[in-house]
Amino acid sequence: MANVLVRVNSAPKQQLAASLLPLFKNIQIRSNSAQVSTPPPQTKTKFGGLADQDRVFTNLYGRHDWRLKGAMKRGDWYKTKEILEKGVDWILNEIKASGLRGRGGAGFPSGMKWSFMNKPSDGRPKYLVVNADEGEPGTCKDREIMRHDPHKLIEGCLIAGRAMGARAAYIYIRGEFYNEASNMQLAIAEAYQAGLLGKNACNSGYDFDVFMHRGAGAYICGEETALIESLEGKQGKPRLKPPFPADVGVFGCPTTVANVETVAVAPTICRRGGVWFASFGRTRNSGTKLFNISGHVNNPCTVEEEMSIPLKELIERHCGGVRGGWDNLLGIIPGGSSTPIIPKDVCAEALMDFDGLVACQTSLGTAAIIVMDKSTDVIKAIARLIAFYKHESCGQCTPCREGVSWMNKIMTRFVSGNARPDEIDMLWEVSKQIEGHSICALGDGAAWPVQGLIRHFRPVIEQRMQDFEKRQEATN
Amino acid sequence: MMASLIRRLPKASTSFKWIHSTSAVYADDPLKHKEAPIVENDVILSDQEVKEREKLSHLISLPKEKTLAPISGVPEEHVKTRRVRIYVPPKNAMQSGTHNIQRWRMEFDNRERWENPLMGWASSGDPLSNMNVDFNSKDEAIEHCEKNGWKWFIASEDKPKKERVKNYGVNFSWDKRTRVSTK
Amino acid sequence: MLRAPMFRALVLAQLPSRAGILFTTSRMQSNAPAKAPEKIEVFIDDQPVMVAPGTTVLQAAAQVGVEIPRFCYHERLAVAGNCRMCLVEVEKSPKPVAACAMPVMKGWRIKTNSDMTRKAREGVMEFLLSNHPLDCPICDQGGECDLQDQAMAFGSDRSRFTDINHAGKRAVEDKDIGPLVKTIMTRCIHCTRCIRFASEVAGVDDLGTTGRGNEMQVGMYVEKLFLTELSGNVIDLCPVGALTNKPYSFVARPWEIRKVDSIDVLDALGSNIVVSTRTGEVLRILPRENEDINEEWLSDKSRFACDGLKRQRLITPMLRKPDGEFEAVEWESALITAAQAIRNAPKDKIAAVAGSLVDAEQLVAVKDLLNRLGSELLCTEQKFPTADGTSGTDLRSNYLLNSSIASCEDADLVLLVGTNPRYEAPLLNTRLRKGYVHKEQDIAYIGPEVDLSYRYEYLGNRSLTIEDIAKGKHPFAQRLKQAKRPLIIVGANALARNDGKAYIAALQSFARQLKPEDKNWKVWNVLQTNASQVAALDVGYKPGVEEVLAAQPKVLFLLGADGNAVNKENIPKDCFVIYQGHHGDQGAQLAHAILPGAAYTEKQGTYVNTEGRAQQTLVAVSPPGMAREDWKIIRALSEVVGTVLPYDTLDELRNRMEDIAPHLVRYGHLEENNFYAQAEQLIKTQASSFQGDVDVNQKSLEDFFMTDSITRASPTMAKCVAAVKKAQATG
Repeated sequence: MANVLVRVNSAPKQQLAASLLPLFKNIQIRSNSAQVSTPPPQTKTKFGGLADQDRVFTNLYGRHDWRLKGAMKRGDWYKTKEILEKGVDWILNEIKASGLRGRGGAGFPSGMKWSFMNKPSDGRPKYLVVNADEGEPGTCKDREIMRHDPHKLIEGCLIAGRAMGARAAYIYIRGEFYNEASNMQLAIAEAYQAGLLGKNACNSGYDFDVFMHRGAGAYICGEETALIESLEGKQGKPRLKPPFPADVGVFGCPTTVANVETVAVAPTICRRGGVWFASFGRTRNSGTKLFNISGHVNNPCTVEEEMSIPLKELIERHCGGVRGGWDNLLGIIPGGSSTPIIPKDVCAEALMDFDGLVACQTSLGTAAIIVMDKSTDVIKAIARLIAFYKHESCGQCTPCREGVSWMNKIMTRFVSGNARPDEIDMLWEVSKQIEGHSICALGDGAAWPVQGLIRHFRPVIEQRMQDFEKRQEATN
Repeated sequence: MMASLIRRLPKASTSFKWIHSTSAVYADDPLKHKEAPIVENDVILSDQEVKEREKLSHLISLPKEKTLAPISGVPEEHVKTRRVRIYVPPKNAMQSGTHNIQRWRMEFDNRERWENPLMGWASSGDPLSNMNVDFNSKDEAIEHCEKNGWKWFIASEDKPKKERVKNYGVNFSWDKRTRVSTK
Repeated sequence: MLRAPMFRALVLAQLPSRAGILFTTSRMQSNAPAKAPEKIEVFIDDQPVMVAPGTTVLQAAAQVGVEIPRFCYHERLAVAGNCRMCLVEVEKSPKPVAACAMPVMKGWRIKTNSDMTRKAREGVMEFLLSNHPLDCPICDQGGECDLQDQAMAFGSDRSRFTDINHAGKRAVEDKDIGPLVKTIMTRCIHCTRCIRFASEVAGVDDLGTTGRGNEMQVGMYVEKLFLTELSGNVIDLCPVGALTNKPYSFVARPWEIRKVDSIDVLDALGSNIVVSTRTGEVLRILPRENEDINEEWLSDKSRFACDGLKRQRLITPMLRKPDGEFEAVEWESALITAAQAIRNAPKDKIAAVAGSLVDAEQLVAVKDLLNRLGSELLCTEQKFPTADGTSGTDLRSNYLLNSSIASCEDADLVLLVGTNPRYEAPLLNTRLRKGYVHKEQDIAYIGPEVDLSYRYEYLGNRSLTIEDIAKGKHPFAQRLKQAKRPLIIVGANALARNDGKAYIAALQSFARQLKPEDKNWKVWNVLQTNASQVAALDVGYKPGVEEVLAAQPKVLFLLGADGNAVNKENIPKDCFVIYQGHHGDQGAQLAHAILPGAAYTEKQGTYVNTEGRAQQTLVAVSPPGMAREDWKIIRALSEVVGTVLPYDTLDELRNRMEDIAPHLVRYGHLEENNFYAQAEQLIKTQASSFQGDVDVNQKSLEDFFMTDSITRASPTMAKCVAAVKKAQATG
């Protein structure tokens, strides 16, 4: 039972209760596990099959009470005061020891990022901004946290905020997440009422506020500097870097923008120790992670799993496999819509972590796995993604504004095959002209799916063009 | 004609030597050489020419003041009554490039123009109206005007360009009015 | 100043260079080691350059003469970094960096001509062109278009935009933003320069972007006019032909026009301009960069009023017939008639009134003529409380903007009294706004409530407030006393009142009490409104017409005096009026003889601006018809009168000007003023009392456009007034 993971909505109730019990017992603060700053050497070789007691998000499926009472039952807010009192360095050290990397897509080591904030103050307040603008197609992890485990995030805000000396946290939540925002707001109110936030939060002597801000529905506002702009009440258009938000961020003050999942796992890391967290996954890719599997699988789901789990195992263990069997697989987009697609033979080998997917010329992104079986028109699928990016490009900088809409035009023609084969190379070049030349990563994110398509499915595109030509000749 | 022939007489004597010496070379096998042999010029120079050339190998001193006005053929009216403006061409406000303005230019005063009744083009009675000359420095321009006897005046100052601090961060500054709210 | 050739060459070539060497060596010995700013070394194309920390890559490259292409970057606007044209490779950086926004780091090796850089530029260029209409043949920007030039220099040599045959290009609806700026928004490349200009420099937050991605548009979101006195500058800023000059549209190509550097005279700042002409016609006026005066901007009046130079002109001498009608005559008869009138008049009954557009040459010539004839009745149209009420001579520091236009932005506290700089001197207002935005300047204002494009502390419009401040009773007086670089700017129109003397006495003595940090800082400033006023006062014209008219002159010269100071009511009945000017405006209607003169684009004339800086206009076109340069008319008249003026050429006249006031021919230089204490003493002795409220003449934009004979003749200015009125009526 221990290693058999149970996806909650398909598991029988008794089993569920049994699987969750040891989890509660296990939660305790391991204070002596600190003082480790370098990750342990790689010894583990098999990944996956996260034990129930090792889950961070224990109410991912909303089977339990999401409010303060329920959350405290599950261990949230347990001795938060003590964690806070251990001080900034201890928290940062735990986070560094855990090897936690940002869960929003870029995968920057969180411990390091948070420590950037601890420069001597010049009088400006510091802020933590939580990026809850989860808009990447295929991604649905943050919303599960926010609607079913909001207190994890709030407690995370407090601890992460303490670690960087922030005055307040702003949770920028995607406007479409109405229920999530509602739950978050209630949870924040509960936390204030319970004295967990506000002046003297958790009786620690530390003042900390959490505000929630609802976005107005733009994908680009998930980019950290665009999010800051939007938070300031301006058009959500990304800023250039430098200055980095840690220097000039929201309202001109030092700011760290962190993903919901990153912040939400921080309390658990502090309680159970960085070493515990680092024991999952490969070195430099450690931890547990929420994976969202959608598309042509038998049971699409969001599941917490160990990092570095093989892609195939992940799908087969939690999603009941690819629709029509593994051999019916066409390709997988492994990290949300902006990552390049990988074909079946690559999927079989891929390890779901940052380095493992970079080795496959793709990226972990937000770990939103979009599975496509052979019934998929892959050109049309990618064209749809480009149409999305074209629609969501903010229009500020030239390569993205003009380039993505041009790619969209070309891709639209590729779907019907109304193009010449040499335009495939042109499309490749256009995507390369966008990549790395735009202000933010949206340009890159729009270029990569196209590059993935051309890299792995070029014959399909060429075939489509030939067919089109034949049809044309037939009608003429 | 006669005189020139006489003057060439000494030269003839040297050239004779030369003919004599090269004929021996040709005598070897004239057909082997497809081109005429290269011969040093010295041998064909007259004594006087050698003397002149020796003079040229030293520094030449020229009179300090040069005036081209009397010999340039420009009508006196256009030397005495014209004023030359020496200036740095201003940057075109419509464009951001500066490559065509890093120089000094001279220009004559503007005279009357009229519309050509036949074609509608601009006509002018001023032969110098299109004479813009560019110089690397103010001094070169002045020297040129002096040489031609034109009155000139300097109409630009070569002030060092003001250094500006450009900072992208001030757009988002928290306590300054430079904060940008419009995009 | 024009000199005999050899003399000038010696002075120029030798003196400054020697002085320069001395200066630098002494500085290196004393200062350099002590406070050498820590410069960092970077390499531009392997060429080392030392720059101050924080310098951007683009600026560092400019220091070694490498110009990085750009669209959105403008050195007088905030950095936007969105066009991506300035991407350059930095060694060891995987991605190219935006040179305009990226500060250099020590030891960076920047490659402005590497493969990566060129590919990046070509890529951006291709993207920009993919939605640009390429209608260059019908575009007014053609020939002076940054996009054209940079496409030639950095773009690809062929197009691969095959989608032109499928989906086509983006098209955007044009916007009507007023009678001055024409928009063809399809051409827009979204550099946002116009938006930044409007919000930062003009202080009008009207322009912005709407929509996103490829549907992004620059505009106002709602249909309205771009109501600012500086709107023309967005035409210059626009790197493509999206914003073009409406009155100039389809008029000329840049390669067929001639450009003449000149000076604007429609306000008292003397903005530097370039006059574009073709065949004796002024087609448009553009600003010319001058860091000390107008930076790179130009007000709408100065830019667009040039079509007034073609209308209502006096092109032939005219004499009034007994029936009151004018008759065109030859110069000869006009001069003879005028000379007869002068000869017949008593020597001390010949007077002259100078209007607002008169150049110093004419002022000097007329003064010389009248003085030689035995008259001292010379005055300017605009009143000004002189230090010495009788002689008319005055101390310059009294009527100048002493602190200079450029240093107005450095002040930390400014008090504006009875002036609306936004419309009286728009480019001084941009200075103040610059100080407000970039240097934390605070501004207070006394006068009727107006919109100055920045926030100011409103001190009401009562003259008593001035008295309170001057006596130190007002709380604001304390703030001025504590300020490090305080500035008091008084409008010339406020001083032209009857109680102007009280203003000037009270404020000037208060200004003297202030102790700025820097001893040389000038607190007392007057903002003149007429281009001719300073030169006229410099050469000894009396300000205000009352005294001259009170003398009951028999012959009255109106030198472009169209300001209605002399009118049918106050002119002596038997006075022979000679109007010399270029427009048939108010002054000409009073005349008995009209001598047609040249406008500022048609003569080489000297103007002294409000800070006391002499500058000269150059001949861009020749005067129309029989009109002649003004000083030549006076010179000819003097011949006919029989009192010959001793100068035949402009150079001789300018030598005479130098004798009177040497600064008049030191073009471009700013003379130091002093005698502040004496000026104050003189003023104090004749103070009068305050009456009424402080007022300004130009309160809103509609008052801005038509202020003198040229602008009143301009159809474009008339359209502007109509448009503003309509916009205000509709809300």
